[in-house]
Amino acid sequence: MDVVLETDQLGKRYGRAWALRDCSLRLPAGRFAALVGPNGAGKSTLLHMAVGLLRPDAGTVRVFGQAPYDSTAVLAEIGFVAQDTPLYRDFTADELFTTGAKLNRRFDTALARDRLGQIGIPRDKPVGKLSGGQRAQVALALAMAKRPRLLLLDEPVASIDPLARREFLHALTGVVAETGTTVLLSSHILADLERTCDFLIVVHASQTKLVGGVDELRGEHRQLIGPRHASPPAAGIAQVVRTSHTDRSTTLLVRTNGPIHDRAWQSHEVTLEDLILAYLADDDLGAGRTHVGWGVSA
Amino acid sequence: MIWLAWRQHRKQALFTALGLVVLAALMLPTGLAMRQSFADKGLDDCVRALGRASLIAADADTCGRLFTEFNNQYNAMSMIGVLFLVLPLLMGLFWGAPLVAREIEHGTHRMVWTQGISRRHWALVKCGVVGAGTLAAAVGCGLGMSWWLTPISQAGQHGRFSTFFFDMQGIAPVGYTLFTVALGVFAGTVWPKVLPAMAATLVGFVGLRIALTTLVRPHYLPAETLTFPVKGATVQTNPAAGDWVVSYGIRDASGTMLTPNAQIACPPDATGPGADCGASLGIPGDAHNWQLYQPGDRFWLFQGIETAIFVALAALLLYVAVRRILRLA
Repeated sequence: MDVVLETDQLGKRYGRAWALRDCSLRLPAGRFAALVGPNGAGKSTLLHMAVGLLRPDAGTVRVFGQAPYDSTAVLAEIGFVAQDTPLYRDFTADELFTTGAKLNRRFDTALARDRLGQIGIPRDKPVGKLSGGQRAQVALALAMAKRPRLLLLDEPVASIDPLARREFLHALTGVVAETGTTVLLSSHILADLERTCDFLIVVHASQTKLVGGVDELRGEHRQLIGPRHASPPAAGIAQVVRTSHTDRSTTLLVRTNGPIHDRAWQSHEVTLEDLILAYLADDDLGAGRTHVGWGVSA
Repeated sequence: MIWLAWRQHRKQALFTALGLVVLAALMLPTGLAMRQSFADKGLDDCVRALGRASLIAADADTCGRLFTEFNNQYNAMSMIGVLFLVLPLLMGLFWGAPLVAREIEHGTHRMVWTQGISRRHWALVKCGVVGAGTLAAAVGCGLGMSWWLTPISQAGQHGRFSTFFFDMQGIAPVGYTLFTVALGVFAGTVWPKVLPAMAATLVGFVGLRIALTTLVRPHYLPAETLTFPVKGATVQTNPAAGDWVVSYGIRDASGTMLTPNAQIACPPDATGPGADCGASLGIPGDAHNWQLYQPGDRFWLFQGIETAIFVALAALLLYVAVRRILRLA
C-alpha cells in the first residue's frame, strides 16, 4: 500500500499554545480523505505543514517520502486550494493559468481551460467579478492543471452557497475519478462529506481523534441502546467513545474488538456523522455540541 | 515569475510612470528657463570668476547684485523641490509595503507559494523587479534634480550641500528609495496587512532620516573651521563655494562665542553707518568671525557615504525580510 502522506508525532506551536500536537497518521494513495474538526482544531495547520508552508515544531511530516517544507520537489507533486480559494482578483482565469504555466514545470493549461469551458465559466473576466462558487471552480482548475498526485483543499466550500457547494464537490469527485489523485479535503460541514469521502481524519482541540478508512471505521463501531445506567456488555468492547442518557435508556457509541452478544443491548450500525460527532464530543470542549452548531443541515 | 511580477504591478508601474512624466513636464521647462535667465544675466562667468574657495577677497563679490536679482525672480522655485523629498517615501509606501503585506492580507501567498517555485525565488524576483523599477525612477529623479537645482545652488540661494537640498539630488535619493522599499517589504512581513505596513514604513523612514540627518551626517568627516577678522576684513565668505555651514558666529580673542549666527565684516577705513563694526553691540575690535563647515568639495563624498549607509540598511532589511518570508504561512 502506497502511503502518500505520513505524519509522526507532528506538532506545531504558536507561542506557547500548540495548534496541533502528537498527530500521527498515514494516508494511503488513491483515497478521498476528509479532514474534519471544528474551526480552530488545527486542520489548516496540518494542511499547511503538508504543503510545506509551515515548518513543524515537533515530529515529522512526509509527502511521497519527502519533507515538504521549502521543497520544490514536493510542490511539483501537489495541488493546494487554500481557505477561501484565494486568487489574484484582478487576473482573468486565463492569466491565472498563464501564471501556473510559468511557475510550474508541469502544467496542463488545456485541461484547465477545458474544465472551465465545460461548466461555462468565462475565462476572460477578472475572477474578482465571478461568484464565490465560480471562483472556487477556477481555483480547483488551477490546482488540477498541475496534474498533482496529491490534492489538498482547505475548506474549499465553506464560504459558498449550498448549490455551488454541491457542484464543486461533484466536479471534484469527477476529476478525482478520472485522474486517480489522492485527495485530502478539510471541512467542518459534515453533510457534504458523507457522499464523497472514503477516508476519515478527525481532529479536535489540536489532536487527531480518529484516523482510518470510512468502511473500516464504520465496521468496527457500534451504537448500543440499552436500559438506563445498565453496565456495558462485558465482551467485545475496546472503548466506549460516548455515553448519553435519556429518561429511560442509555446510548453508547463503542469501538468493538469482537462480536457483542448481550441481550440487554440493541446493536446498530453507525452513520459517519454519528461517528464524527461522538469523537468530537468525547471531552469537555466537545460536550454540548449540536448538529445545528455543526452546520450539518446546511 | 518575471511575467507574474510584471502582470501584478503593471498598473502601478503605469501610474508611477505617468506621475514621473508629469513631474518632468513641470521640471524641464522651469529648469531650462532658470538656466536661460542665469546665463542671460551673465552669472555663468561671474560664478566662474568667484571660484570655489571658501574665502575670497572682500572686493571680489561682483555677482552679489545679480544673485539677488536672480534669487528674487526664482524665490518660489526651490519650494517645488520639496516635492522630491517625499518621493522616496511614496515609493516605499506604494511599492514596498504592499509587496508582501497585500499577498498575505488577501491570502494569495498560499496560492502563489504552493506553485512550483520556492519562496526564496519568488521573493528575489519580486524584490528584484520592484527594486529595478524604483531604482531607475530614483536615479532619474536624483540626477534630474541635480541638474534642475544647479542655478539655485550656484546663486547661493540654497547651497546643494545644505540640509534638504542635499537630500533631494545626486545619488542620495537612490539610497533613500531602495531603503524605503526594503523597509516596506520588511514591514509587510512583520505586520502582514497593507495599512499597518505602510504606517510602519512612514514612521521608520521619517524617524531614521531625521535622526541621521541631524545627528550623524555632520560627523561623516570632522568639520573644518575658518576665521577672519571683524574689523579691517580683507576677505569674506564665498557664496559660490557650496560649503555646508554647520554653525557660525562672532568670537572674541580668547575664543568665547559672543554672538552666535551673526557675521560682521567691515572693510579697512570704513565710514558711514555700521562703521563702528558692532562696537555699539559690545563687540570688541579684536573679535573675529568664526565658521564651522564642511567644505563644498566634500559634496560627492558625503553623497556617497549617505547613499552607502541607506543601501547597506536596505540590503540588511531585505535579507531579514526574505528569511521572515520563509517562516510565514
